[in-house]
Formats: sequence, C-alpha cells, structure tokens
Amino acid sequence: MKSKNKQLLLFCLPALLLYSTFVLYPAIGGFWYSLTDWNGLNPTKEYVGFINYIELLEDENFIQSLKFTMKYVVYMVILQNVLALFIAIVIESLNKGKKVLRTVFFFPNMISMIIGGFIWMFIFTRVFPYLVDEYGVLFLDESWIGDPNFSFYSILILSLWGSVGYLMIIYIAALQSVPGSLIEAAKIDGANKLQVIWHITRPLIANSITIGIFVSLSSSFKVFDQVYALTGGGPGRATQVVSLNIFSEAFAMQSRYGYASAKAVVLFLIILLITGVQLAIMKRKEVEM
Amino acid sequence: MNKVIEKASQILLLLVMIILAIFVLSPIILAVLNSFKTNGEIYTNILSLPETWQFENYVKAFTKTNYMKSLTNTIFLVSLSLFGIIFVSSLAGYKLARTKSRLSSVIFFVFIISMLIPFHSIMIGLVDVANKLNVQGPLWGLALIYTGIGAPMAIFLYHGFTKNIPLEIEEAALIDGCNSFQLFTKIVFPMLKPITATIVILNALWIWNDFLLPLLMISDKENYTLLLSTKMLFGQYNSDWSKILALLVLALLPVILVYIFMQKYIVKGVSDGAIK
Repeated sequence: MKSKNKQLLLFCLPALLLYSTFVLYPAIGGFWYSLTDWNGLNPTKEYVGFINYIELLEDENFIQSLKFTMKYVVYMVILQNVLALFIAIVIESLNKGKKVLRTVFFFPNMISMIIGGFIWMFIFTRVFPYLVDEYGVLFLDESWIGDPNFSFYSILILSLWGSVGYLMIIYIAALQSVPGSLIEAAKIDGANKLQVIWHITRPLIANSITIGIFVSLSSSFKVFDQVYALTGGGPGRATQVVSLNIFSEAFAMQSRYGYASAKAVVLFLIILLITGVQLAIMKRKEVEM
Repeated sequence: MNKVIEKASQILLLLVMIILAIFVLSPIILAVLNSFKTNGEIYTNILSLPETWQFENYVKAFTKTNYMKSLTNTIFLVSLSLFGIIFVSSLAGYKLARTKSRLSSVIFFVFIISMLIPFHSIMIGLVDVANKLNVQGPLWGLALIYTGIGAPMAIFLYHGFTKNIPLEIEEAALIDGCNSFQLFTKIVFPMLKPITATIVILNALWIWNDFLLPLLMISDKENYTLLLSTKMLFGQYNSDWSKILALLVLALLPVILVYIFMQKYIVKGVSDGAIK
C-alpha cells in the first residue's frame, strides 16, 4: 500500500473504529435482524425470510402509525417552512429589533422537546381550561391531550414552537445573502415589495428552501420526543407515530427485535425515497431558474 | 406620503412580531411564574404573579432529582462526547480532504452515507452491540457511542473546511522538519478553530437534549442525565404541578443561562452548520 494511504488509515482509524461499531454494524445488523424471528427474551434467532415484512402489511397498528406520521409530516413541512420564511422576511425588513426578535424566536430550539412537551402539557391541561373558565375563550374548550383529533394539533403546536426558529435562522442567512443592489435596481424599475420578494428574492433563496424542506421532511418523519412527552402515543394508540411504534415493539411490549427491525427498515426506506424524490425535483427546478 | 406608509407598516410589522414573540415565550414565563405558587394558587390564579413566592417547590425538586448529580453527569457526558467527536473527526476529516486517492473517496463516502439513516433504524442493533461490549450503563460508554454517531457530520464539516485552507502553510512546516503528527497538532488543528466552534455548538445542543439514547442505555440512577431524572420524577409527581414546574425550570436553567451569555455564538454556529 502506498504510504499516503497508510497515513490516511492511521488518521481515520479512531473514527472508523467507533463509527463501524456504533453505526455501521447496528445499521447492517438491523437489515439482518429484520429477516429473523429474534425475540429479546430468547437469545437464539433464526432466518425466517420476509415473514416479518408480510406481517407488517396486515399490522393495523403499524399502518395507522404510518398514516398518522404522514399527516404530521405534511402539516409540518408546510407550516414550518411558511412560518419560518414569513418570520425571516418580516424580521429582515424591520429597521429595529432584528437581533432581539431573532434571539427570542430561536430560543425554543435550545430546549429538549421532552421538557418543552411537559411545559406545554401544563399549558394545554391547566392554562387553556383556566382561560375558558375565567375569560370565556371558548375555542380553547377542547380536550387537547385526551381527544386524538385535538392532540394531533397539540403535538403540532409543540413541534412548531420547538423548531420554526431553526429554519428561520437558515432563511435569514439566505435573505442576507441576496445582493442589495439587485433589490435596489428592481425598486428603481418600479417593483413593489411583494414583486421584489416574488421575482428577485424567491429565485435567489430557492436553494435554501430546498434545504428547509429537506430538513423538515427528514426530521418530522423521525418525530419521537414531542409525542412521547405529550401523549405517549395515546389515547390508546391514536397518536402513535412510527418511531414510537418501533420503540414500543422493541423495548416496551414483547421485545420482538426482529419484527421491530423490519419496521425500522421500512421507515428508513420511506425517508430515503421521499427525501430523494424531493431533492431530485427541487434541484431540477433550481437549475431552470 | 410614502414615508408615512413606510413608517406605519414598520410599526405594524414590529407589533405583529412582538405579539408572536410573547406567544413564543409565554409557556416558559407561565412555567416560571407558577413554579413559585402553591397548587391552590395555580388553580385560582394561573396568570398572575405569585402572592407569596414559594421556594419550597424548588427545595423539594432540587433534592428529589439529586439535581447536582444529574447536572454534573450531563456536563460530563456532553464534554466527553465533544472531546471524542472533535478528536476523531478532526483527524479523519482533515486527512480525507488532503489525500487524493480512491481509498480516500471510499472512506469519505462510507461516513457520509450514514447521515441518511434515522436513529430508529440503528437503535435495536446498537442496544445489542452495547450489551455485548459492556458499554451499556456507564457514561463514558455512552460518550463513545455519541462519538461514533456524531463523527460523520463533524467529518463532513472538517472536510469541507480543510479544502478551503491553502496548502502552502503545511508545505512550509514540512520543509521546516515537522512530522505529520506535529503538523496536525501545532499547525492544522489551530487553523480548524472556527469550524471546531461550530461543531461544538451543534453537538452540545444535540447531546444535551438527546433523550432516547440515554433512556435506552442508562438504567442506574447514579448515572441519570438531567432529562432522565426529570422524566422519571415527572411520572411520579402525577399532576402535582407546583412541584413539576419547579422541576422543569431547574432542568431548563442551564440552557437558559448558556443561551443568555452565548446566544450570538449559538445562532451563528447553527446558521453556519446548516448552510454547509
């Protein structure tokens, strides 16, 4: 072997060692487990082919959790990006208070969604009922944790609260990179504010919008903490997302590691497919502009 | 006329943003206010300042969670993981960027590919490996795992950063008789400082707030992180909100303090990390 490659291996060795042990091996192992009947209580595992995957197709709980997650992803991708972009544009157009506002809006991103979830549980179960009783704010008069129709929105509010600031930072950075001279030129040519945003800013920050949507797609498919803290997946399994479904299959119920691994593989493939399609479509559009 | 419209729209937008900002902060403010009340007062007067400030809630939460222990555990875990991530990733990321060979591209690709794999897809295998290697339980074992999981992104960032550093400085140092180990510790690593700062911020945020991995790995109460001890006690307190809120505010306190003093660097770090 050439000496430069020897040296390369030496420099990469510590990283490769830990990475293979704690990421690569478990990832490849996951594929293998999904083809076995491995049960946490039973040390032996046997190859069973695609039986786990066939069982998945008829697993109503899993399909329900997939549907719930999809719904959550759609809401999150749209609301997260629209809100973040809106806040970023408004903050950037202000003459005063930019920094303070940016600092405030980013703050919830610093907080673990477990702690954030418990705090919001207080808001939903104590503050909202109080506002209803004392001030007659009737639209808050719902069972925000207990009724699955509304706990979906509770989870959504918590998630948006905890994550919009991050995308806002990405969008503010993008807006600041748009050359002021272009905007000035457009204004001189008679464009109004909205026209400037649509015709000048939008194409120039298209790259960041691709990143923003990618970030919210991949993170909301993996949502766990928010649901774990707020509803625990309940009532029943009504708000159980895929990650929670996998978690409880593997570690809470019968420890069916093999079957849970098959679910994890499916989640991985779905994320890969959907983010892949998203990037392919949006990258092509960027080039056209 | 135009100036008047401009001014009016500025005030209007500022107002909208201020209202939104109050909405964003209100859960935290309400949690802090009510953590100083009795349960009875929370019931009757949730929005006002406490009549008498009850510090008792905090005393109970502080001792029950073994706050200092779980705080030092968390700080230890985050520091050790950061050290690990920076150590292994700066070496690998730098050398991968400086070596042009097929092996180099292959290794880089192997690292990057995993950034697509969700944690839930490695979780089961990880618990299995950790059990077999006996690293499940102690905090240093968890730090090793965080190093493995955090390395790919850090390597990616170091790799990108190194490519923009001119080669001349390293060549000069080599001519002056540096060996490649000295070259790295004395010359290269100091030059990587800006990206190291970004990596510290991103990973500290991630590991400090990560819940699932400690939940899977740590069973001994002595090793509980702040999040774990808070979660466990939350379950026991069962709607005793005055105590729970004190507990939650205590868990938030380090984050709030760090953010107040470092917010400029944190926002910059997050922004730099996201764009690359």
